[in-house]
Amino acid sequence: MRRRTVGILVCLLGVALAPAGEGTPESQARPVSDIVALIEAAPAGATVDVPPGLYRGSLRVRRPVVLLGHGQVTIDGGGQGNVVELLAPNITFQGFTVRGSGSGVDREPAGIRAETGPVIIAENRLEDVLFGIDLRTASNSVVRNNVVVGKDMDPGRRGDAICLWSSHECVVEGNRVRQARDMVFWYSENVDVRNNEVSDSRYGLHFMYSHNTTLRDNHVWGNSVGVYLMYSNAITLIENTMERNRGPSGYGIGIKECDDVEIRSNRIIANRVGVYVDNAPLSQGAFGRVHQNLIAYNEVGMLMAPSNHSQQTWNNGFIENEQQVATNGRGNLLANEFHVDGRGNYWSDYAGFDRAGDGRGDVAYVSQSLFEDLMAREPNLRLFMHSPAQQAIEFTARALPVMLPQPNFVDEHPLMTPPQVPGRTVSPGPTGRMGALCAGLLVAGALVMLAGTEPISRMQGARS
Amino acid sequence: MSSGAVQTAVPLPRPCSAARNVISFARREVRDAVSSRWFVLCTGAFAVLAVGVSFMSLAGSGSSGFAGFGRTTAGLLNMIMLIVPLMALAAGAGSIAGERERGTLLYLLAQPVSRLELLLGKYLGLGIALTGSLCIGFGLSAGVLAAKAGGADAAAMLMLVAFTCLLAWVMLSVGMVVSVVSRKVAVATGVGLFVWLALVFVSDLGLMAGAIVFKLRVQELFIVAMLNPLQAFKMGVIVQMNASLDVLGPAGMYASQTYGRTLPWMLVGVLLAWGVLSLAAAGVLFQRKKSI
Repeated sequence: MRRRTVGILVCLLGVALAPAGEGTPESQARPVSDIVALIEAAPAGATVDVPPGLYRGSLRVRRPVVLLGHGQVTIDGGGQGNVVELLAPNITFQGFTVRGSGSGVDREPAGIRAETGPVIIAENRLEDVLFGIDLRTASNSVVRNNVVVGKDMDPGRRGDAICLWSSHECVVEGNRVRQARDMVFWYSENVDVRNNEVSDSRYGLHFMYSHNTTLRDNHVWGNSVGVYLMYSNAITLIENTMERNRGPSGYGIGIKECDDVEIRSNRIIANRVGVYVDNAPLSQGAFGRVHQNLIAYNEVGMLMAPSNHSQQTWNNGFIENEQQVATNGRGNLLANEFHVDGRGNYWSDYAGFDRAGDGRGDVAYVSQSLFEDLMAREPNLRLFMHSPAQQAIEFTARALPVMLPQPNFVDEHPLMTPPQVPGRTVSPGPTGRMGALCAGLLVAGALVMLAGTEPISRMQGARS
Repeated sequence: MSSGAVQTAVPLPRPCSAARNVISFARREVRDAVSSRWFVLCTGAFAVLAVGVSFMSLAGSGSSGFAGFGRTTAGLLNMIMLIVPLMALAAGAGSIAGERERGTLLYLLAQPVSRLELLLGKYLGLGIALTGSLCIGFGLSAGVLAAKAGGADAAAMLMLVAFTCLLAWVMLSVGMVVSVVSRKVAVATGVGLFVWLALVFVSDLGLMAGAIVFKLRVQELFIVAMLNPLQAFKMGVIVQMNASLDVLGPAGMYASQTYGRTLPWMLVGVLLAWGVLSLAAAGVLFQRKKSI
């Protein structure tokens, strides 16, 4: 009898407490000092499971512990300064929701800031933060599977979603960033950047003076620039996808004064400019290689400064770019190589033939277009793209070779088929709506035809 | 629409009978247009070109596994800007001038109808015939896209059709202006061709030269270019496709950032202004010109 009563009581208590555990109304919020107390009580290196709920305030972790939120802990900084600061090495911070950092750019307040390494920051969700995850001199750290959504502000006033400052040998993988400024790497070497997604930001992946890095399988879309490499040497980009990076800059990949950059097997699609090259390679003896990429449907496939030299571009598929390769300013690109070891690129507008049957065209691909030349002189003329007047100019140049400008570059061995580039294949949508449109339009046309053949003798009778 | 209804309306024309007269003329015009060689030729040419462009622009994208409706649109745009104004201007130019040359204008105006009713009726009828002709061409083109590309964007295609029909009606009213002042079809067609040449090539080429020689600023270049109905049409289609004009370089980017959401309405406004003002001009000129 007594045990049953206790059992009923326990059940009732459970029912009463259950909603409190799930929802976290304002009254249930606890101060972060509760978490600090748990950390202080734990021995170094111990695992601390933080009880679910909402905590308010700024959390400073000063001891090497494994902090686990299991996705049920929210820390709200209340719009003041940093929300979480990791001030000791060997901290793991995992499974939290972090929100509400300050918003003034002078102190660069962050959701999670690590002042020393190594730390592991994984599976957190950061919302409404100016900077997201900010590693300062935190080498050998891991930033994995976090989601960062920036503050809803003008792009120029946002902070960096993930920022590494002088943090070497780090792994940054599987993070998803939206509505931020950059995912940026400053003075950080040997970083492994893979499988991240960045969208609706300024520069998707941004490298400043960060050498010896590999970017693999990242997906950047809808940013101002997909990947921007600046003054960073020995960078390799493999199997990334850059899509729909548009706007005033609008580069899929931008390279500025970098040596030994290799860009291989990427899909560079529907950007304003696919690959923008400005003085790369810079040093004597350094290389710049762009090969095996799919460069398709961009306004400009590849944009290069006329002063650029020794850039090697081969085995790529240049497909249906509005301008395949353009010069940034007047001049030509003859100091760069568009075929290496007898292999050029595939050009979708190549009009030659392959009689020898070796997969390479027998006639060189020569890039010379009067309208493109005019646009290089006067960029405003792009307003007249897609109009018959543009076609008229091109036709004039073909009809009167004296009007043709000097060739921009020459690919002596153009390929007859594009290279196969691994990656996501866009599945075609349902055909239903297009079919319906087709049927509707045809019916409308047929109705007009029928209306025309209808006898109108009554009307004529009225007139006579 | 019995004979009595029209005859009772003779002494005091009421709006109802005016509308009836317009509709009668429109129906006659549709019937005449559809049975004419001109219409069949134009419809056939437009359909063949639309289907051909769709096929050709899809051929390049097939190898990589994603279809670019944007490419198809770009190809279609060029073709539309050449063909549709030509069709509409020729149709408009031949309308009143044709009746005049055949002597039937005298016969028509002897009926209890006003000149404005005749003009509007002819405009409406030719516009409907042109719309039907475009619908057939686009319908076949959409069929090609549905069969080959699959995921092509039907809403974007519909927008293209709507803009093209608007362009056709606008160019038709420009053609009507040419027609009411011309005595012969040959003259009207010649003037129509000249207008076509001016709008499609000369104005753009002149503006390009001006942009280089006078170093026009982006805002000046954009505003002047936009006043050409063909450029307004092109920009309108691109804005609908891309939500931005950044495809068109600095001037387009300037326009997108300055006018934002009002940009498509501005462009439609330019087209409508051309259509309405031309039709009004045609009406005024037709009523003033007492000669038949």
